[in-house]
Amino acid sequence: MKPLIQVNNLSKEYKLPGHIFNRKTFAALFPLSFEIQAYKTLAIVGESGSGKSTLAKLLVGAESPTTGNIKLNGQELQTGNFKQRCQYIRMIYQDSGTTLNPSLTIQKLLDEPLKLNTTLAEAERQVLISETLRQVGLLSDHMNFYPHMLSGGQKQRISLARAIILKPQVIILDEALASLDPSLRSQMINLLLDIQQQMGLAFILISHNIGIVKHFSDDIMVLDNGKVIEAGKTAEVLAKPSQKYTKKLIMNQHFQLFSR
Amino acid sequence: MNILDIRNLSIILVSGHKRILAVDRVSLSMKEGELRGLVGESGSGKSLLAQAIMGVLDDKWEVDADRFHWRGNDLMRLSVAERKKIISKDIAMIFQEPMSCLDPTTTIGAQLEEAVDDEQLTGYFWQKIKQRKQAAIKLLHKVGIKKHDLCLRSYPHQLTEALCQRVMIAMALARRPLLLIADEPTAAMESTNQSQIFRLLASLNQLKNMSLLLISHDLENMTHWTNRITVMYSGQFVEAGTTKQIFSTPFHPYTRALVDSSPHANSTFEPKSQLTALPGSIPILQHLPIGCRLGPRCPRAQQACVNAPKVKNHHGHLVSCHFSLKETY
Repeated sequence: MKPLIQVNNLSKEYKLPGHIFNRKTFAALFPLSFEIQAYKTLAIVGESGSGKSTLAKLLVGAESPTTGNIKLNGQELQTGNFKQRCQYIRMIYQDSGTTLNPSLTIQKLLDEPLKLNTTLAEAERQVLISETLRQVGLLSDHMNFYPHMLSGGQKQRISLARAIILKPQVIILDEALASLDPSLRSQMINLLLDIQQQMGLAFILISHNIGIVKHFSDDIMVLDNGKVIEAGKTAEVLAKPSQKYTKKLIMNQHFQLFSR
Repeated sequence: MNILDIRNLSIILVSGHKRILAVDRVSLSMKEGELRGLVGESGSGKSLLAQAIMGVLDDKWEVDADRFHWRGNDLMRLSVAERKKIISKDIAMIFQEPMSCLDPTTTIGAQLEEAVDDEQLTGYFWQKIKQRKQAAIKLLHKVGIKKHDLCLRSYPHQLTEALCQRVMIAMALARRPLLLIADEPTAAMESTNQSQIFRLLASLNQLKNMSLLLISHDLENMTHWTNRITVMYSGQFVEAGTTKQIFSTPFHPYTRALVDSSPHANSTFEPKSQLTALPGSIPILQHLPIGCRLGPRCPRAQQACVNAPKVKNHHGHLVSCHFSLKETY
């Protein structure tokens, strides 16, 4: 099967402030390559400062890579071509409350990406918005609400709706499940799995909760200081971690859990 | 002996002429040297309960209890000043987001020295200054910070989140409290840092015989550290028992859902299968259901649930449900 997204030799270096002859660069991400297929989930695990958020920013186009390229369906994604990228790669953030504009109603919030990226008429957009809201388990009445009138779980659903309304092919979840309460989190996981099956999405899950990673993902990539130190099928890597760092990461979570 | 004994504590929010029962008759008792967990999702009133114990709620809130004893003293009968004196001596609290709790304009050293109380110091003022400094260094050693000079000189923003939390714990320890209330001490922390902080708290509990009330929204994080757990939902008492009872035989449908809903690292769920989840979300304070507040979301709810259930005691395993899952085990 053809991979949906192909990443070759992607890397990122930041310039540090310094004298003109003494320029130093800081490598946030060393060259890495991976592939994801439709209906699959890739989990990226690592501590803060390991480069996982940098990778997400590169994929979504918020930063331009130093080397390497990203191919979607065999077609290369140019840096700066946001029209193309916004359509196919969407992102959900950790704190959904702060990413929603408090002065806009939900309808306007969801209308914005449609206005910018599609040529639909207003009536069609309206229908699409209410359909999408129903798809994420909300009512079309919620269109006239403002973000502050919704609970944390509902806000997270709105940001999911905003992500899927353009019918993307890849969604990046940057710690999107970390701040939710346990019972809402399992609802959200169920919803994401459902939508993945319906729409054939590929997910890139950035998380440090090994339990969720194990349940949710097909492949795993462990980052440490910008380097990929371990990658493979989730079940195999978690069952037999070869690197000390991965073992430590898993042990930390096992340690917290109850041995039933 | 119970150091803290609370029976039927209610906290009422008075706004205008409306009175909202935010916490509805919750009981909590703690033995000396106990490590107790208090679990509940956001909006379950667990932080309110902690603040009521500390007595730091403002005029908007009314606190009422059948019994509110601290080491045999009835705190409800004492005046505010007397109460403050007892509580500030014996109970300490640490909060989530330690960075925002520390003063960003002062060094850690100055803040720590401020926390050391005068009763421990003797002699003339120059001797006291020296002793104060020594006490601050000693406190940092207690929480496992070895580079005390560097730490005392730095400002909060120069330290990591975990170090800040250690400093907060050090400040809490300054008056040698008998009870430490930790309100989500590791929220938004990396898992390695999380376990460090929990390990520190557990060792303080063991070595200093300090009781610890650990508040969290995550049931699975608590399991390794606590002896007993109390579960709350939407301001109501749900279930209390030893950690093992809560985990292996939860009696309340809500606890059952909490235990089942979290995908564990060592669980045997089929990957990508649907997890069990309660429908709906937590009710907001303005629209609380009558009777058992889990009612609208509960899979076992029946007509009787419109009346709040009484707390039943099964060999120390307390549960508040009309249709508990006890028979199913």
